[in-house]
Amino acid sequence: MTAREKERLRTGLLFISPWLLGFAALTLYPLLASVWFSLCDYSVLTEPVFLGTENYRELWRDEVFWLALRNTVVFAAVSIPLGTALAIGLAVLLNQPVRGRGLYRTIFFLPSLVPAISLAILWQWLLNGSVGLVNEVLQWPLSLVNLVAGTSLRAPDWLNDPSWALWGLVLTGLWGAGNAMVIYLAGLQEIPAELYEAAEMDGANAWQRFVNITLPLLTPVIFFNVIMGLIGSLQTFAVPYILTNGGDGPGRSLLFLATYIYQSAFDYWNMGYASALALVLFLLILALTLVVVRFGEKRVHYAGR
Amino acid sequence: MPDADPIARHRNRWFAVILLVGFSIVFFLPFAWMVSTSLKPLNETMSLPPRWLPSEPQWQNYPDAMRAMGPFWLYARNSLMLALLNVVGTVASSALVAYGFSRIEWRGRDSVFLLLLATMMIPFPVVMVPVYTLFRELGWIGTFKPLWVPAFLAGAFNVFLLRQFFLSIPKDLTEAARMDGCGEFRIFWQIILPLAKPALLTVALFQFMATWNDFLGPLIFLVRQEQFTLALGLQNFQSVQGGTAWHWLMAASTLVVLPVVFLFFLTQRTFIRGISTTGFK
Amino acid sequence: MPVFAAALALLHLIGGAALAAPGGDGRVVVEYWEKWTGLEADVMQGVVDDFNASQDRIFVRMLTVSRMDQKMMLATAGGVPPDIAGLWAMYLTSYVENNALMPLDKLAREAGLHEDDYIPVFWQMCRQKGHLWALPTTPTVTALHWNKKMFRAAGLDPEQPPRTLEELEEFNERLTKRAADGSLEQIGHMPQEPGWWTRDFSNWFGGPVWDGGGRLLLDQQPSIDHFRWAATYPQRFGGDDMNRLRGAFGNFASPQNPFFNGKVAMIVQGVWMNNFIRQYAEPDFEYGVAPFPTPAARPGPPVSVADCDVLVIPNGARHPREAMEFIAYTQTRAAMEKLCLGQKKFTPLREVSPGFVENHPHPYLQTFIDLANSPNVRPILALPTVLQYSNDLATYMNLLLLGRLGPDEARAALQERQQRALDQKTERWNRVKDKRLARWRAAS
Repeated sequence: MTAREKERLRTGLLFISPWLLGFAALTLYPLLASVWFSLCDYSVLTEPVFLGTENYRELWRDEVFWLALRNTVVFAAVSIPLGTALAIGLAVLLNQPVRGRGLYRTIFFLPSLVPAISLAILWQWLLNGSVGLVNEVLQWPLSLVNLVAGTSLRAPDWLNDPSWALWGLVLTGLWGAGNAMVIYLAGLQEIPAELYEAAEMDGANAWQRFVNITLPLLTPVIFFNVIMGLIGSLQTFAVPYILTNGGDGPGRSLLFLATYIYQSAFDYWNMGYASALALVLFLLILALTLVVVRFGEKRVHYAGR
Repeated sequence: MPDADPIARHRNRWFAVILLVGFSIVFFLPFAWMVSTSLKPLNETMSLPPRWLPSEPQWQNYPDAMRAMGPFWLYARNSLMLALLNVVGTVASSALVAYGFSRIEWRGRDSVFLLLLATMMIPFPVVMVPVYTLFRELGWIGTFKPLWVPAFLAGAFNVFLLRQFFLSIPKDLTEAARMDGCGEFRIFWQIILPLAKPALLTVALFQFMATWNDFLGPLIFLVRQEQFTLALGLQNFQSVQGGTAWHWLMAASTLVVLPVVFLFFLTQRTFIRGISTTGFK
Repeated sequence: MPVFAAALALLHLIGGAALAAPGGDGRVVVEYWEKWTGLEADVMQGVVDDFNASQDRIFVRMLTVSRMDQKMMLATAGGVPPDIAGLWAMYLTSYVENNALMPLDKLAREAGLHEDDYIPVFWQMCRQKGHLWALPTTPTVTALHWNKKMFRAAGLDPEQPPRTLEELEEFNERLTKRAADGSLEQIGHMPQEPGWWTRDFSNWFGGPVWDGGGRLLLDQQPSIDHFRWAATYPQRFGGDDMNRLRGAFGNFASPQNPFFNGKVAMIVQGVWMNNFIRQYAEPDFEYGVAPFPTPAARPGPPVSVADCDVLVIPNGARHPREAMEFIAYTQTRAAMEKLCLGQKKFTPLREVSPGFVENHPHPYLQTFIDLANSPNVRPILALPTVLQYSNDLATYMNLLLLGRLGPDEARAALQERQQRALDQKTERWNRVKDKRLARWRAAS
């Protein structure tokens, strides 16, 4: 290294030193400490005591852990595709030459700004089984179906029914699709109009144009959003926690890995077990992100690259 | 069937308008319901079938809810203080770090940057336990420090955003200064920062929202009610009320949403542009 | 930057007014966290005010805290606990094992508090592992509450509560009504309303679910019978039907409380229920209170579960002596009766002032006092794994009452999982036991 290179290295490191410090103290150390804690019995109020792999063995036979893992994966698997479809759909609609687009955009976007706490309390109210707005609205189509088909379908008591609570949470998530929508909209506006004009000349209808032009050219943005959505949905905590008044839902249907980490650490005071859970969450995020990246590499269409 | 003809185009547009209006209603109804409930007398919140509008708006619900929540203004002050500290800390530190990752060439820079990107995959719940024990060792539990000191240590996402922006600033602008013997910090401070104002504002906005909305951090680090943020105070109110006083809960929720909405309308352009740019590498 | 300056100014403005704290006159400020809200908090505040006015060295500052069980542990672990906390008795074991409390034996002795002054079950609840950790404030025991109008409407004698569990189920059938479409309109009784004592319900079938040491007893007959009894409900009334009925229930503290508005005729409740009835039920609401019956095969003195609000001093409290002074004050007959009368409960003290019961606004107070003194009264379950156990039990019970899980399966799964959780805590405790016990002995 020349003196100049050394000088640059020193300056560079100096500039990034805040991050280096943060990385060491708030990421690297916690990860290493998690590994150590996960091998211990640790309640915070007493010193960690080495146990070996006991926490992991417990994890393996703990049906609640598997349930939390399942809920976490199912929630991501349901909410990401639905959220992506809704966000793209809204963006495509907003990209049409109609009047008042600014207003529509604002209306679609605003819910994504609502703080988790207000969002959860509001949806707890909207999803109320007897006087909730959601069921009030659902009642019309349901009574129509009941009349025609002679069935006796009833709107679910969302947050008190083990089979429906997760879907209630998915609904709250869809309401916040506006953030991704804005990104997709920007992506759509990057697509050259000539492409559409040429396709129209060739006689492609709206759907064909969407599938053959819009979607492929949007793949980089979809890729980015899916990864962000994945990381976001795998760590979901605040909304289900507040929706259930600090619990985990009927039949633990709203128990997620992050919830279980929190419960193990701060309700049960098993920091060791919580650390083992945290490492599983970390590995899960890592693995799923890698899968998406691998999958994406082949399919993402980078224009002009 | 080609729809290059005006009729098909017309039809498509109408279809789009109908869908847009339909979705707008769906997306707007929850807000309307929140505000409408917040203005109802308690017995009308529970009436069956639900009433769309209060028989007479109960503006008194707002001051009542604030009183019932406990020290509302203290919560607001704590939230605001933390949000501002986080904004200052994040903007300052992330800009410095982004500069180090974009305008200075040093050995290993790009590998370290990859590492920074990778840390985005580590959400708070993963490191929550050791971070709690770390702050406990420092004697920080029950103080505000765990909620603002980390902001001064730069966030990966913000560094990423700012780096992209700094990279787009032409090199000639800084080379000349460097020739004149200007130090890196002066270049950063006098040339780059003024140019990066829109990006800095975006980061500031995002951070403000993130801190204002944060729930898990305050939940485990704060213990005294007079230190609660609005988010935690509202959750506290919810658990104390046990879901009885829906008119107050909705009023309180509205009050927590309001500053965010206000801020959005104040900075709409920066906001939307900021989010738009996050999707592109 | 002007925006920033403006924000700072705003901050300063709203901060200044709200920060002024009382007690800045050289007195020791004792911080007291209490879980109560509403009426119950107001009454305690009255006692606190009396204490603050009675002397000039100590100022007790009471703060209402939600999720006390957790917040206090967070604060204690973080080294910033309050001086006093109002806790529930069922958390004591877990707090003691986590080294979160100060033993009070010595302080209580110095303050002249004595076991003989208390109704035995409440004193017993405050003791763990040979030491005293808490002192009682307001007590309760559980009893059957029944809606007399619903009894009358069903052709039952409104003055005659069921004497055995079998009779209760007979009444239950007669009190249950279905609508034309088969859905439940009202029900005589169901275990999940309010379902607050599921942990302790095996006591009505002969015994608790924990031996007080390292073993759970869910594999014993009392729990077997309890779970099988609960499992008859989805069979008889339909799990989904009950759930739907419950979905229409209003909140506990509201006129839509299912007991007040005639949805459920018989419930298990504590002594505070009268307050809610006075506040929310129709003025002509008629109800009675009696021991919740045991199966005919298990005759004997009435069974009840005792619970208690307690005051503790967390480890690391800055002013333990001053804290104890206030706690001792609450244990005087005058203060205790002010507190319990205000909250319309009985007192944990054995002796009451003349006229306390006679002038008490609760019409059935004596029934509760008798239950508290019954030989078959049991302290509420205070497992070291209380939250884990409660969460698990709630989940399994929910599935059982929905008819999605059999009673023996649910019970076996609970026993298996929770015995493991308990074993873990027992191991943890055994590692530190000798050191701890020695330290506590020295401090007592």
